[in-house]
Amino acid sequence: MTRRYLRVKICSPVTVTEEQFVQALTASIVKYFGEVGLSRIAPKLIRFDSRRSSVVVAFAKDHVVEMQAALAFIRQIGESEALTLPLKTSGTIKGLGKS
Amino acid sequence: MRDKLESLGKSFQDSGVEVFLRADLTCSRREELLKLLRRFRPTFDIIGVRCTNHNLALVAARDRRVDLIFFDPAKRNAWLDDSIANVSNAPLELNMSVLLEMGNLILARFMKDVRIARRHNMDVVLSSGGTSPFFVRAPIQLMAIAEILGLSKQEAIKSVSTLPSGIVRRNAERRSRNYVEDGVKIITGRIEA
Repeated sequence: MTRRYLRVKICSPVTVTEEQFVQALTASIVKYFGEVGLSRIAPKLIRFDSRRSSVVVAFAKDHVVEMQAALAFIRQIGESEALTLPLKTSGTIKGLGKS
Repeated sequence: MRDKLESLGKSFQDSGVEVFLRADLTCSRREELLKLLRRFRPTFDIIGVRCTNHNLALVAARDRRVDLIFFDPAKRNAWLDDSIANVSNAPLELNMSVLLEMGNLILARFMKDVRIARRHNMDVVLSSGGTSPFFVRAPIQLMAIAEILGLSKQEAIKSVSTLPSGIVRRNAERRSRNYVEDGVKIITGRIEA
């Protein structure tokens, strides 16, 4: 399966953990695209930098729109309000550049 | 009020942020809407109308002074239908904040609205509609949601970028001193032979 990589910035008043982000992303995809959508998008966390609030996520190539929308639908990560901003999409991790 | 708004706009401009003022009109009767439009149209850059019933939606959709129409998802007696979409001059606005607050319950309704709007070549505008910074979404995210709602890629770009900027530009032109009416404006200067 060909994959795409997306660098995302998390804006939240509190520090977000890796588990909380994965849980929020999975819940958002399941809520709007269902379990089948989740298996098709196949998101996978590649890098998580809590200091810079930067995340790299891999997902199926044909589902860029669904992935961007699922990130937009995230309102809360953990217990606090949060906002995710997609910074760059690339076909390779190297292409995303340094955070 | 105008002085206050102008000073507020100026303070933003000093910080390098361009500000456009918007008013959302909410009423239930035609006469009330026309009165509000007469009052607020000259002051604000963008006028949106919250359609609380079908008759009001028809009036707002026909009126050229209205820039955007939107429907209150909490109201069950007003929604976009073919008769409104068919006569509408104003684009339909879909607020993402409503979608974020009400979740996937409202997603189906937005999809239906988009289907009706496309059937009648009615424009659709997507906005964050946020009351807090956490409701603001990046244009690329809005485009992705627009595509999920059923718009094509080109229409999604138009709904997030071209249409909103067009509304602001058109209204700035309308409020200029040289504007007479649609398609007519005063041009000063010499004509070289």
